[in-house]
Amino acid sequence: MAVAIEHQSQTVDTSPKGIQVSPGLRASGPVVVLLGLGFLAPLLTVAAYAFATPKSFDAFRSFTLANFAVIFDPANTVWTSFAWSIAYAVATVVLLAIIAYPIAYGLHRLFGKWAGFVSVLFVFPLFVSENVRLYGWVLFFIKNGVLDGALKALGFSGGPELLYTPGAILFGMLYVYLPFMLFPMTLGIAMVPKDLIDAARDLGAGRFMIWREVELPLAMPGILIGMLLTFVLGAGAIAESKILGGQSVITIAQDIEVAFTYAQNWPLGSALALILVVIVSGLALTVLSKLDLDRILGRR
Amino acid sequence: MNLTRRNFMQAVGAAAVAGPMATAGRALAAGREKELNILCWEGYNSAQVLDPFRSSKGATVKAESLTNDPTMINRLRAGETRIWDLINVNNPWARKVMAPAGLIKPLPKAEFEPYFDTMLPQFKSPYRWAMSDDGKDLLGMAQRFGPYSFVVNTDKVSRATAEEQGWALFADPALAGKYGILESDDWNVFGIFMVAGINPFKEHTDAEMKLFSETAEKVFKGAKMVGDIASLNQALVSGEIDLHLTGGTYSVSPARADGYLNLRAVTPLKGPIDGKGGISWIEITSTVNNPDLSPLATEFLKYVQQPEVAHTVAFAEGTFNPVSQMGNKKCFDLFTKDELEAIQWDSLEEEMARSAEYDIVPDYEKALDLMTAAKRLRG
Amino acid sequence: MTLAVTSSAIAAEPLASAVPQAKPVLQLVGVRKVFGEFAAVDGVNVDFKEGEFVSIVGPSGSGKTTLLRMLAGMEGPSEGYITLRGNLINDVPADKRPTCLVFQSLALFPHKTVGENIEFPLKVRKMPPAERKARALELMRMVRLPESYYGKNVMRCSGGEKQRVALARAFAYDPDVLFFDEPLSALDYKLKKALEKELKDLHRVSGKTFVYITHSLEEAMVMSDRVGVMSRGKLVQIGTPEEIYTKPANRFVAEFFGEVNSFEVRRGADGWKAADGKALVVSGLPEGVSDAATVIVRPETMRFVPTGAAVDNAIQGTIYNEYSLGSRMQYQVHAGERIYLVEAPRGGAVSAGDAVTIGWDAADAIVVGD
Repeated sequence: MAVAIEHQSQTVDTSPKGIQVSPGLRASGPVVVLLGLGFLAPLLTVAAYAFATPKSFDAFRSFTLANFAVIFDPANTVWTSFAWSIAYAVATVVLLAIIAYPIAYGLHRLFGKWAGFVSVLFVFPLFVSENVRLYGWVLFFIKNGVLDGALKALGFSGGPELLYTPGAILFGMLYVYLPFMLFPMTLGIAMVPKDLIDAARDLGAGRFMIWREVELPLAMPGILIGMLLTFVLGAGAIAESKILGGQSVITIAQDIEVAFTYAQNWPLGSALALILVVIVSGLALTVLSKLDLDRILGRR
Repeated sequence: MNLTRRNFMQAVGAAAVAGPMATAGRALAAGREKELNILCWEGYNSAQVLDPFRSSKGATVKAESLTNDPTMINRLRAGETRIWDLINVNNPWARKVMAPAGLIKPLPKAEFEPYFDTMLPQFKSPYRWAMSDDGKDLLGMAQRFGPYSFVVNTDKVSRATAEEQGWALFADPALAGKYGILESDDWNVFGIFMVAGINPFKEHTDAEMKLFSETAEKVFKGAKMVGDIASLNQALVSGEIDLHLTGGTYSVSPARADGYLNLRAVTPLKGPIDGKGGISWIEITSTVNNPDLSPLATEFLKYVQQPEVAHTVAFAEGTFNPVSQMGNKKCFDLFTKDELEAIQWDSLEEEMARSAEYDIVPDYEKALDLMTAAKRLRG
Repeated sequence: MTLAVTSSAIAAEPLASAVPQAKPVLQLVGVRKVFGEFAAVDGVNVDFKEGEFVSIVGPSGSGKTTLLRMLAGMEGPSEGYITLRGNLINDVPADKRPTCLVFQSLALFPHKTVGENIEFPLKVRKMPPAERKARALELMRMVRLPESYYGKNVMRCSGGEKQRVALARAFAYDPDVLFFDEPLSALDYKLKKALEKELKDLHRVSGKTFVYITHSLEEAMVMSDRVGVMSRGKLVQIGTPEEIYTKPANRFVAEFFGEVNSFEVRRGADGWKAADGKALVVSGLPEGVSDAATVIVRPETMRFVPTGAAVDNAIQGTIYNEYSLGSRMQYQVHAGERIYLVEAPRGGAVSAGDAVTIGWDAADAIVVGD
């Protein structure tokens, strides 16, 4: 979002004068054009489609709120998809924050020379496509698969029926988005100067007090970036529900996909996407403004 | 081919810039003698099929595969007729939609009609789905086809039971939680109509739509999973599910080729489409109404008629399917016993005979909306 | 504890530091700290007396920071004993010691206000908020921070202001001993000079024991009652600034003040001779030195000798270069194979190229053993 805001302010700056172009703006021209083409243009296209006649391809040529009327019609149950996506995203953020913090802490302070190796373990899966990894988990959880088979071989009655349930979706999301929480968090924890911890201790603070008063607030920028990343990714998640969850829950991304494919209703899909963007960015910005990054970073 | 969020967003992004880019591309491309663009179902985009053509013609051939017809047709509607030379979709679209909308252009009849005479008997010229409504123009060539109703694990549900009970299996409370559903929503609309005992390919009354909606809710609620072909085959093999809605030789052939001959595409003995219990599809490949159509388009259509290439198309990577050219002994002889088993050659003729051919559902959008809402009740 | 607020009050205080009490508050006996094969601190013995201001100087890597970390409780000694008021504190962690360290980086909490920073040690000790605030404001007066700074983000303070916040925070819970890890090193010269004097005042007013680490002997001389010099993990010498200056224990200490003229001398049958064979008058041999010694002549002791004037040792040479030191000038004098340094008040009659005689009286030179 920061990119978009910055970009907008630049266009606003230039439009009234037109002729006087500062050297800085000229130098940033290629980047502005690239951002415009790569970031703004698709977004604008989606926005234009959102206001186009339903089931048409008349973006930029028609203006109607009909798509939004359809979505906000009380009879339409698409809100449940929004609710699921947001709920999954929130659950993912909360659980990952709890799961990733000890790992990030360990990476920075405890694992010592093993930290690099442990980081690689977490990075490595990113080189394999998300879908392939999720299919791997299907083979792990499926009947007579790795888990079930191994437990049966050990004389148990078999593995739990986790596959194709809403729980499996959450598991998949936690698994896929862990690195996106872990690495910003590790960076955040690494940003806390060792001196401050020593100083807090020297001033009489115990372990918990140091954590609460110094380590946690100073690592917050990294933690927040991790939370923001996982929230945005989680709200747009689809593969976890499709592959691990057997579509036991329909996420909003899937509704958007269906609108763009089987339903061939691009305007409806665009309107759904636009609402998702508004909800996600709105929630993210609200939380960010409440937490006041500048103050945490000590810029004020 | 599984549509992930990433490639989905890429597709949206690409579509956003494709319009202006296509215009620019056309201005740049002086001649298109060495260039061919194909929009198709998976198989035609495989290297096995394309590479010999590329090297023999010294041409740049680009093929993009998608997994549903409406998307491909709307790509043309959105202005991509300037990009593509060939489009490969299921049978009704050429004759009923694309030709009337001017998205495709007829083939030279004299050159292509003779090919139909060497195909399997049901494709004898004039083959209905290859012809325009008035029967004057040849709109495309037929190649891959197959029955597409549902798939069962015959160790759990016998073929005889499945054929007799037909679509009612998916309304049977005893099987709730034991079946899956393929994520092809267009085909699922047909399937749900069939479970409800309604002919999908006609205008529906409100009462029929209500029944459709209720059936959709029940069928989706009772499903163990909804997934792509690979997931469903995996689930069938592992025993997570015993059968799945919407499926046929196209979807189950990869598992059968791997030796799981207990998995089988089934066509019900009877059903609501003028007594027919199953649905089948036939792909028609047409030349796009491209203002600068590559001359390689018709060359490619001839190329895939050759027995060896037709066999390659039938067993291209991904899914395995019968092809119309199997009517030619030279082509048929190329198929091994295992390959014939994978595509259920033994019952292919009777299954096709019991199937109604894929057609347009006039009120598809309404039905899809009802079905999408029904899916949401799963969670 | 009473805190003076105005400078007149400070002046009225008795000079506590002038009469250091004999009782040691902090004692180190044979303290060693070994990292692998390397002894960062190698057998240090020292007593810090109640109310004393002691500076430990040494070059980088001399072990002074490690020594301080052991004193503050952030490292434990590998060998030896550290006692505080007679109690062994070797294994007492930093948060349990009644001492406080002012870090080189100051280690202010960037996410807290000036007030919150100062109150941190009080909050840790569960002092009620109202009391905390009163104490913080009192401390702010002591370090001359305006009351309006109480709610200011600490990162928006200037370098000098941050320094004062760090001091106030260190004083907040009334520690017995304050340690300083060159907190002034990052400041500009003028501010540093001003703060050195303030720190000295603060020491006098508070009556606390200060242990101050620095690599600047000049800084140490200005503030301290006693100065210790460290080299390679050992405390080479500890004494009053006067003693360190006039009676350096060895060449290292002598040279720590800056460039010097040094002569390695040997006693022969016909008296003392320098390495080049020149006879020198040498006096004031330290105990235990008999036949070989190093004579150190500081540039400010070396002087130009007018023709005919009497001097114990004289050298003929040519002025090779001159540098301005502000109120004084430094000259490089070329004689034989060597360059000698002479400092003289500005306005002398000599300039580069002149042939001069330089020299010193034996009593003004420093003689060390090695």
